[in-house]
Formats: sequence, structure tokens, C-alpha cells
Amino acid sequence: MKELPEKGFRAIFMRSVLQIVRRPMYWAGFFLLPLFFLFFLTDEMEDGLPQRVPAAIVDKDGSAISRQITQNLGSMQMVDLVEDCNSFTQARHDMQSGKVFGFFLIPEDFQADLLAGRKPVITFYTNMAYFVPASLLFKTFKTTAVYAKAGIAMSVLDAAGAEVDPSTLLMPVNITSRPLGNPGLNYAIYLCNSFVPAVLQLMIFLITCFSLGQEIKYGTSRRLLRMADGSILKALAAKLLPQTVIWLVLVIFMESWLFRWNGYPMHGSWWWLTLSEVMFVLASQGMGVFFFGLLPNLRLSLSISALVGVLSFSLAAFSFPVESMYPALGIFSWVLPTRYNFLIYIDQALNGIPVYYSRVWFVAYIVFMLLPFTMMWNIKRCMKRPAYVP
Amino acid sequence: MWKYIKSRFGDLVRSYFDEFRLVFHDGGIILFFCFLPLAYPIIYSLIYNPEVVRDVKMVVVDHDRTSKSRELVRSLDACQEIRITGYAADLDEAKRAMHGHDCYGILEIPDGFSKRLGRGEQSPAVIYSDMSLLLRYRGFLVAATNVAQEMGAGLLEEKIGHTLPIAATISTGDPLPVENISMGNIENGFDSFIMPGVLVLILHQCIVLASGMAGGARRERTRRGCGEETGSVAMSMAGEMLCYMTILLVPVMFLLHYVPLIFSFPMAGSAFEIFLFILPMVIACMGLGFCFQSIVWEREAVFVLWVVTSVALLFLSGLTWPRYAMSPLWSFIGDMLSATWGVEGFIKMNANGSSLAQVRAEYVNLWLLAAFYLVAGYCLRRWVMRPSLQRAGRSAVG
Repeated sequence: MKELPEKGFRAIFMRSVLQIVRRPMYWAGFFLLPLFFLFFLTDEMEDGLPQRVPAAIVDKDGSAISRQITQNLGSMQMVDLVEDCNSFTQARHDMQSGKVFGFFLIPEDFQADLLAGRKPVITFYTNMAYFVPASLLFKTFKTTAVYAKAGIAMSVLDAAGAEVDPSTLLMPVNITSRPLGNPGLNYAIYLCNSFVPAVLQLMIFLITCFSLGQEIKYGTSRRLLRMADGSILKALAAKLLPQTVIWLVLVIFMESWLFRWNGYPMHGSWWWLTLSEVMFVLASQGMGVFFFGLLPNLRLSLSISALVGVLSFSLAAFSFPVESMYPALGIFSWVLPTRYNFLIYIDQALNGIPVYYSRVWFVAYIVFMLLPFTMMWNIKRCMKRPAYVP
Repeated sequence: MWKYIKSRFGDLVRSYFDEFRLVFHDGGIILFFCFLPLAYPIIYSLIYNPEVVRDVKMVVVDHDRTSKSRELVRSLDACQEIRITGYAADLDEAKRAMHGHDCYGILEIPDGFSKRLGRGEQSPAVIYSDMSLLLRYRGFLVAATNVAQEMGAGLLEEKIGHTLPIAATISTGDPLPVENISMGNIENGFDSFIMPGVLVLILHQCIVLASGMAGGARRERTRRGCGEETGSVAMSMAGEMLCYMTILLVPVMFLLHYVPLIFSFPMAGSAFEIFLFILPMVIACMGLGFCFQSIVWEREAVFVLWVVTSVALLFLSGLTWPRYAMSPLWSFIGDMLSATWGVEGFIKMNANGSSLAQVRAEYVNLWLLAAFYLVAGYCLRRWVMRPSLQRAGRSAVG
């Protein structure tokens, strides 16, 4: 077998590869956890939307009209009428114990009041503590109520001998919503494309800081510097290159998994998206090194990586828009690589618009890549005099 | 017999104080016990504190330019969800605005909108919505439905008045009013929806991370050749648990009572019952922490191995994606996690005002999981960790 060189780029590179291969913890961090999330998030939400929300009906009238409404409601695609309650209290109990996510209440003497023109009120209750199912239920309940109302108005007009078109009665002004790029309102498309890269970003931060911090903790950083002939740039580049390769393979796999095999919308150019993913990896690594340079201590750099990485899921505004946040917090969304990954994905894959509109996001990646150069001196200083502070 | 009890009790007390010493000499563990439960919930709650998405920008392409079409635009602008930022000459111009991120929706009113209404036909209009965020789309949808119904009701009333003047005298206005009442989260706010679950998850992660790091610290200490563990395994586990519980008293109260109070989240439950409910979850988390310790070889590994699980716990808990819609595999994995039951039960009690009796299923499951994790943790420590530590200790000394 050929002897490994003692010094130089290749020697550090091989040393770094061996470190990764020898520690099962790295396998978990590089492969097990990211791949688990990729599979888990896409598989869990495979249906796109949670169909058939459990709900209850409280029919206190028991008349022909109220039974008709119950039947209409039961035939709606999104709702599953699991309970038929006698009272409001019973329905509320079912909601409190989680059996149903909402209920539809038809009051006593509904039919009599309606026909006499006493305007009975239909009320529906949705448990907004569970946002997604309750929103779906809200839509179904509302539609049912509108149908019921139209049916009644129709019969009144019919009885009076007026001829009307049912659709105009139902909704004279009809505003259709066209969800661009995701017509089925698929929750998985919306969520996985932002959360999976954010998981990756978190793992890149953590592993970058962990692998650099280990050198200081175990005092091997001096040897690392010697192997690089005292050049911190060479040491870092050779040390992190194997990780870069692994992350790149993973991110390309992620891109293929989401957009090719799962068929998530891809309306633009594969090249720009791939470029974005590659730059995303480098930007996240850059930020990881920057964190380490800022606090060249294993635990502190990992703490800040974890803090920023976990807050990214909220701060990068995947669900709650930046312009609705307090400006003092919203501003932090601009310092996260995963935010730019998200914006470029929206522009290039979901909407497929010219890359001109995303040019600024690509430049932002470059800024992250250049960040570590501001901290080289500090990393070198600490690598020369490694001291482990728990 | 008396001697046996005394020595066991001695083990318990010793490990209780040993653990305190370990925790307070370790900045990392202090960070998990103090910073995590005290600062994280504040930051998180502040991010989502505006609760609802207001005034999402929209551009109008009005091919009709009549008083009715302007009325439609005015009504949409008046909704809290939408802000009309301007008119575009045609769809291309509007698209350019959307591509340049100057608006997230386009309202297109076709030519003849007003004429159709006058003729008594159905008159369509279209909202094109950017789908990057579902909350924006939801806002458009709610506003559009409300406006369409309001305008429709107005027109219907006019129509009945025209065709059947007598009917109008009998019945004016809406013949069948419909009311919607949001329960649990009456403002339909995003913060009030997501944060109660996240609070429980923060507590969960704080315990597991701290416990994992303490395990790593103990291993490192043994590898350095000091502080080899002796004494009863069960008693040392009990001592550690008591120590954590003492430390956690304040953070738990802060997380589950004061944070909801500060940010006025729904607080419908009884505080005492909520604490009773969360107790088995805390114990189960410690058990999980003991199991986790067996794979933590050094203190800092907890970051790489555990931090990211928060995301999985959030999705498995059924907070965002309801549990009835999960496949059996994920639902089973969720069943095996104390976080799932903790989040479910806490939301039911806190938001919906369930009593402890109404979350009986969750409560029983939490106790079962606590027992399961503790037994597993005991086995791992007794037959996996302790022997490996002793070997490491001997080789360090020798």
C-alpha cells in the first residue's frame, strides 16, 4: 500500500475523510438524519391535504329541511361526520377530547322559524387550535351553509312564480381563486421544499462547527496547521472539502427526489435550481465557518449554530410572511442562506420566472461564501493555541 | 435490612448532589436549562406575535372600469387581508409586478362584469395568487368569499325587491344568517396556534438535551480517569431525576403558564391540572434522556444528534398535519413519543379547556411511556453504559 503523504492538501483531505469514516456519529449527521427527514416529510404529507376532517352535527330541529342540510354536509368530500350530537354541550365535549375538529349547529324550531321568516341562525364552530383541519372544515361548513341558503331563497322565489337562474342566486359575483403553480393546494409541495433545505442547513452548520471544534478540543489543530505549512486557508479548505462533496451529493439527491421522483412543480430551468442548491451548500458551510470563527469554542459555536439553525425554520418565513413580522425580527430573515434557497425555489421552480428576478438572491449566496475570510485570523489564532473550555 | 435501605438512600442523596455539582460546573448544561426554556419561547413567540397576515399586496387589472367593478375593488381593499397597491394596464404588466415581488396577487375583472350583473347573470372575476405561502392564499380566499357573498346578498335583496315587492316587505335582508365561531384560538392567529405546541416541545428538548449532555460529560470525566461511578444504578438515576426536577420547577412554570400569559395565548385550562398532566411527560423525557445517554460519547455530540429532531417531533405531534391523516407507520412512531401526547394534551387543556379527565387517553399513555423509557434507560445504563464506563475508567487509570 502506498504511504500517505505527511503534509500538504492531499494529506489533510485524506485525514478528514478517515475522521468521517471512523465515527458513526458523522454517519448519522451526514446521512441518517437528513435522509430520514427527506423521506419522512415527503411521505407523511403524501396525500397533499388531510382529507375527511372528523366533525359533528348537532341537529336540534329534526325537520325535513334540517335533515336535508345534514345530508348535504355528510356528502361533502372534505368532511367526515363521525358524531351526531343532541346538544351543544355534548359536541363541545367531543371537540375538547379531540374526537371532532368542529361542529355544525342547527337550532330548535329551525324549519318553522325559517318558513315563518323569523330568520333562524345557523352556527358552525371550528377548533382553530388545529389550524389546517379547522381551515378545511371552515370552508366545507361555509359552502354547506351557502347552499342551504340558496336552496331556501330558490324555493321562496319559485313559490312566488319568479324564474331565476340558480347559479346567479348562489353567487352573483363569483370570484375564483387561481393558486399559481400549486393548483391542488398540496401541503407537501409547500412544506417540503422549504423545510428539507432548512434541515440540511442546520446539519451543515452543526457538522462544520463540530468537526472544526474537535481539532481544538483534542488539541490536534496544531498538527493540522503544520500539515498545511501554517496556511489556515489550505488547512480549512482541505479539511472541509470532503464534507462539501458529501453535502453536494446529498443536495443533488434532494433536488432529484423532490422535483423528479415526487414530481413537485418544476416550471423553470433545472440549471438555475441546481446552481442555487450548490451555492446553498457552500453558503451554509461559509456561515458555519463564520460562526466558528466568531466563537472558536466547540460548545459555543455549536450553540449558536443550533440557535440560528432552529430559528431559521421560523425566521426564514416559510409559513408566516416577513412583511407581517415585527421589522426588528423580520430583518434577520435576510441573514439566513436557507431563506435565499427558498426564494430562488419559489421564483425558479414554482413560478418559473426569468432568472433576472432572482439575481439578487444569488449574489447573497456569494456574500455568505466570503464571510469566513473575515474570521480567518481568529481561527488561526485559536488553532495555534488550542484550549478546551467546556 | 436497615443498613441496605440506608446505603441506598445514601446513594440517592449522593447522586442528587453529585448531579447538581455536574450541572452547575457545566456551562453547556446550564445553557440548556436556562437559556433554552427562558429565551427561546420569547424569541419564538415574538416572531409570530403579529398573529394574522394583514394587507397582502394585490394589483388590479380592471377591463371593465365601471362603478360595480370599482365597488368590488374597494370592498376587497377594505378587507383586512388585502391591500390593493395599484392598477395595471394589462395582465402582462401585473405579472411583471408579481415577478418583481411587488405584489402577491392579481385581481382580474373581465370586460362586461357590470353588464352581466345587470342582466342577472353570474359575473366572474379571478384572483391569481402566488403560492409561496399558504397564509397569503388563505387571506385572499377568505376576503374574496366574504366580499362575493356580501355583494351577492346585496344584489339578491335588490332583485327580490324588484321582482316581488310584497316579498320584500315580509322578509328583508338575509333569510338565513350564518355565524361562524372559532374555538380554541378565537383570533385565528398563527402565534396562538403554533406556540402552545412549541412550548411543550421546548420543554421536551431542553430535558433530553441537558440529560444527554450530562451523560456525555460523565463519560468524558471517566475517560479522563476521575469519578468512576459506583453504587446502585436505580438510585443514581432517581437522584439525577430529582435533581433535574428541582432545577426544572421554575422553567416549567414559566413555559407553561407565564409565556402564554405574556403573549395572551389561549389559557382555558386549569393551571394545576396542566402541571399534573405534564409531570409524566417530564419523567418520560428524562427516561428518553437516559436512553439517549447511551449513544452520546461526548458532550457536544448532543447538538449534532438531537437538535434536529425537534422538527420531526413537531410534525409527528399532529399539530400541523393532523394525526388522523398520517399513515400507520408515522402514527405509530408518533404514539411512541412522549412529545406527541404532551403536545396533544396540552393544547386540548390549554386552548380548548379540557379537563384532565377528558385527556385521559393522553395522560395514561404518557405514564406508560414514562415507565417504558425509564425501564429501557435502566437496562441500557446497567448493562451497556456502566460496563463500558468501568472499562474506560480502568484503562484511563491503568
